[in-house]
Amino acid sequence: MMEDQEEKGNAENGIGRQKQVKDEYLLQFLDSLDGYLTLLDSLSSTLSQGWLELASARHAMGASRINGALLDLKVHAAATSLKVSEQDVDSMESQPCFTLCKWASSDNGERSSGEEKSLSPQLRHRNNSQLSEEKVSTRTGTPLILVDQQQRQKSLSVFGVLVSPKLRSAQLSFERALETLVEIANLHTTMLSMFEQVHKELENTNG
Amino acid sequence: MANRPQIRTAASALIAMIADEDTVVGFLLAGVGNVDLRRKTNYLIVDSKTTIKQIEDAFKEFTSREDIAIVLISQYVANRIRFLVDSHNKPIPAILEIPSKDHPYDPAQDSVLSRVKNLVSVESVASDRR
Repeated sequence: MMEDQEEKGNAENGIGRQKQVKDEYLLQFLDSLDGYLTLLDSLSSTLSQGWLELASARHAMGASRINGALLDLKVHAAATSLKVSEQDVDSMESQPCFTLCKWASSDNGERSSGEEKSLSPQLRHRNNSQLSEEKVSTRTGTPLILVDQQQRQKSLSVFGVLVSPKLRSAQLSFERALETLVEIANLHTTMLSMFEQVHKELENTNG
Repeated sequence: MANRPQIRTAASALIAMIADEDTVVGFLLAGVGNVDLRRKTNYLIVDSKTTIKQIEDAFKEFTSREDIAIVLISQYVANRIRFLVDSHNKPIPAILEIPSKDHPYDPAQDSVLSRVKNLVSVESVASDRR
């Protein structure tokens, strides 16, 4: 009798733990879904601002000075790239984690470290005669990394030496959009991963 | 651990774009443009003259390249090759549908949200409660 009661108790505890795990996966899935939709909304606003600034720059500088035909088709490496690392979900699964590396300066084809961002930054400015630097710190306390202003200027110079301030603003807007997109990409992989987990749990329950 | 799927890590991966001119120009201003030694770019500008085949070829190329980690595609362009976009199920590159100037983002058409919507749809919750 006592043994039966003990077995029944253990079974109930096991079911309770399973339910807790399922609820946790479901909550994580719903959180990532909510974050995904919120960030997409934010991205739409940022892109709208960027397009408006680009249109203003085109109005100021002339349509012939800002169009796709001027794009640099000489061999060159991207100044802004991604770092892809592996993040463990559990012992059986891992998912990719994206980190944006902005304006990494390239010298003779070799990459040096640029600005890494995976969360929203707080900026501090410092005077420097040759390179103007932006020091960035993140909420997680990752080390401060220098941004090469010359790379930013090089990107603008495709459209001429003297460019409208609106073009510079558009550049900053699209940089912000890139940061949001990297966050979206990370939530995208988390959401899909949690969806698979929840789906698996539901199938096990129904099966 | 033996059956754990491998994630392709990279220290310096690219962001590819299949979008209208303004969106591509904007992101190129932000420094994501890359032209390799074969003069291949990591972007395709879509306009009224771009054919579906060109879009499909660009999508297939970007999703098969090892150096591309994210593909940005305007949602209205993705709708033109929806079957191809929906059939992509690898974690890398991540396919992100973005709004364009003339076509705002519609969550109902998003490939990822369509895949997960059944989990949170009212109908599926209601049917479980019967």
